[in-house]
Amino acid sequence: MDFILNGFWQAFVLLFSADPETYSAIYTTVCVTTISISVTLILGAPLGFLLGYHEFRGKRALRLMADTLLSFPTVVIGLLVYAMLSRRGPMGELELLFSIPGIAVGQTLLGLPIVIAMMATAVENLDLRLKQTLLTLGASHSQILRTTLWEARYSLILAAAAAYGRIVSEIGISMMVGGNIKWHTRTITTAIALETGKGEFAMGIALGLVLMMIAFAVNYSMSGVRKRAGQ
Amino acid sequence: MKDLYRLEQVRQCYDGRQVLSINEFSVGEGAIVGLAGHNGSGKSTLMRMLAFLESPDSGKIFYDGKAVQEPGLWLRREVTMLTQEPYLLKRSVAANVAYGLELRGENNTDDKVADSLAKVGLEPEKFMQRNWFELSGGEAQRVALAARLAINPRVLLLDEPTASLDLESTQLIHEAAVSAREEQGTTLVIVSHDHLWLEEVSDTIFRLDSGQLAG
Repeated sequence: MDFILNGFWQAFVLLFSADPETYSAIYTTVCVTTISISVTLILGAPLGFLLGYHEFRGKRALRLMADTLLSFPTVVIGLLVYAMLSRRGPMGELELLFSIPGIAVGQTLLGLPIVIAMMATAVENLDLRLKQTLLTLGASHSQILRTTLWEARYSLILAAAAAYGRIVSEIGISMMVGGNIKWHTRTITTAIALETGKGEFAMGIALGLVLMMIAFAVNYSMSGVRKRAGQ
Repeated sequence: MKDLYRLEQVRQCYDGRQVLSINEFSVGEGAIVGLAGHNGSGKSTLMRMLAFLESPDSGKIFYDGKAVQEPGLWLRREVTMLTQEPYLLKRSVAANVAYGLELRGENNTDDKVADSLAKVGLEPEKFMQRNWFELSGGEAQRVALAARLAINPRVLLLDEPTASLDLESTQLIHEAAVSAREEQGTTLVIVSHDHLWLEEVSDTIFRLDSGQLAG
């Protein structure tokens, strides 16, 4: 029990003394997850909207695929992205393996199904009276599309928060594609795994606390949005 | 009074069941026409056709003397409809009322928004910045009517606009709707179970029974 309490004490020392190794992992995590969630939203929001808004052949199959990919294990995504980015892989020339953009590619694949599925569900569940209201107020088709997207904005924010929560806490992709290289691609989760393996609990606990704070901040900021989305 | 709408041999079926069968029906420009009938008598279907939200399976709808095949944007912008439970956009009251104006390219909408809110008995200073979720049912209905009055429609279709409202809101909506005809010459078609009000304000009342005009 003492070593756990001692670990917490050492964790606070590391955090408040601005330990460079600890903050390097935090910085890398913030950088890579910012890129990942940005690309995820840029690609996923319009795809999810189109999937939810339009009726077309193969829609059910696409929805099923997006829903299935929600539970795709991160190590499998890591394995696939590793294979694609490795020197022998089709994207090997890009030299993205063991780099932050490489991790971002994998994390984007992790976040995309979440944003697509949640956005599509949100659009499908929009009030049926919305389209009639817009038509009777004289909206053109493009104006209906834009307004519908705006009406779903709170659901999009919630989808972004859910995707970010999954991205920031994943370890399989960061470990396999990033390689857990100190000062370079070591993220909070890979650092926790490494330090715990070495029996160094202090940094693991410190980084774990940071991760918890990020999760708390995201969820706290979403509490108001969740209320709005349901109104 | 020239006919603004004329329906000829209009038939509509849902899942093989005929819900509307009207041989002839017309609405004069600037008139107030009341539609009465039991639930399921076809009133709302007829209203949706008059709003160009639905096309009949067969028959013709003439608007302003011309047969309507595919209603264009300009046509839809002349006609608006308020239902029993209107949808308010997830925006402020001012943005809701200004929405239709902005669709038509109007930028300085504050005066028109304030004017429309005043017409439905909502103090602009008090309500303009309120959000959609800060309104009671009656206030939301009045905001929805204000949004329709703001665009100065040629036709205002009211489908049970006061069915679930208190007496005060009902009175204010009645007054605002009728004043639209008096001030702007708006044509009104009203569906309501409030027979006293219908008889008081309507120039003509049609009764629908099983999708057919009964008188």
